[in-house]
Amino acid sequence: MADESLIGRELDEVRFPVERGKVREFAEALLDPDPVYTDEAAARAAGFDGIPAPLTYAVAAMHWRDQTGAYEDLGLDLPRILHGEVSFEYHAPVLVGDELTARRRVADVRKREGRRGGRMTLVTIETEITNQRGELALRETDTLIETEQRTDGATQQRTDGA
Amino acid sequence: MEPEAPLVEHVRTATPASVSEGDEPEPITVGPVSRTHIVRYAGAGGDFNPIHHDDEFARAAGMPSVFAMGLMQGGMLGRLVGDWLGRANVRSYSIRFTGQVWPGDELRLSGRAERVYEQDGERLADCSFAVTRQTGEVAIEARATARVA
Repeated sequence: MADESLIGRELDEVRFPVERGKVREFAEALLDPDPVYTDEAAARAAGFDGIPAPLTYAVAAMHWRDQTGAYEDLGLDLPRILHGEVSFEYHAPVLVGDELTARRRVADVRKREGRRGGRMTLVTIETEITNQRGELALRETDTLIETEQRTDGATQQRTDGA
Repeated sequence: MEPEAPLVEHVRTATPASVSEGDEPEPITVGPVSRTHIVRYAGAGGDFNPIHHDDEFARAAGMPSVFAMGLMQGGMLGRLVGDWLGRANVRSYSIRFTGQVWPGDELRLSGRAERVYEQDGERLADCSFAVTRQTGEVAIEARATARVA
C-alpha cells in the first residue's frame, strides 16, 4: 500500500539512445505514416535538425528499466494498479542520435474516495528526461491508481474515479 | 484551417498551423483493432505485461480477453495532434485513460481547438482530443497545447 512517506523518493535513472530503427518501429506501431520519422530529408523539410521521436516516444525508456521491480520497491501491489493519466511537457526536440537520461521520482501520493466507494491511492511519478548536452528535453508525469480491490476489466470504471 | 489538409500533406514546415477556436482536424479512424496492433506496440514501447498479449492470462485475471495498453491508442492519437498542429509546435500533451480498447474495436480519433490566446508574445492553442469506441464510449480524453498562427 502506497503512502505519503514515498513522496520525494527517487525510483531509478536510465540512460538510453534514441535509435533510428526504434523510432521507425514506434511510429509504425502507432500507424503513423509521416515520413519525418523515417526520412531525414523529410524531417529537415519539416523544421527538425534530424529525425524526431513521436510525441509519446519517451515511454520506450521502459525497455531500459526494471518496471516491475521499481513498483515493488515502492510497495505497490501490481494487480491493483491502473494507469490513470500521463502527460508530456516538451522543452527541447528529441532526435535520432540523442542519448537521453530519464530520472523518475515520486512527486505526490494522495488518498481519494472512488466513485463506487472504496479508497484509492493516487501516486504521481515525475520523469525528467535530459539529453546528452544536459538540457531538459521533456518532463513526463504519470498518475498511477492503486485501487482497494484487484482491478477487474469486466467491470472497469472510469480510472480517474470522477 | 481546411480539415483535409493536415492528414494528406506529410511534409510540413515548422511554421505554426493557422488555428481558430472551434476548429477541428479531420478525424482518423483506426480499426478493427487486432492483437497484431497490440503486440506490435508492446515491442515498440516495451510494455510486456501479459494482460495485453496473453488471452489465457487475461481471462485468469477476470478480463474477457487481452486489451490494448492505453498508450497504444494514446500514441495513435498523438499522430493526429502532430499532423494537425505540427510536431515541432506541440508544447504539451496529456492523456487520461477513461476506458479500455478491445480487439475488434473501431476507434475514432478526433480533436478540437478549445481556446486560442496570446502568452509571452506567442499565440497558443489549447486543444482537446478523444479516442471514441464504436459503442460511443470514450477510451481516452486528451489535451494538447501548441504554438499556432
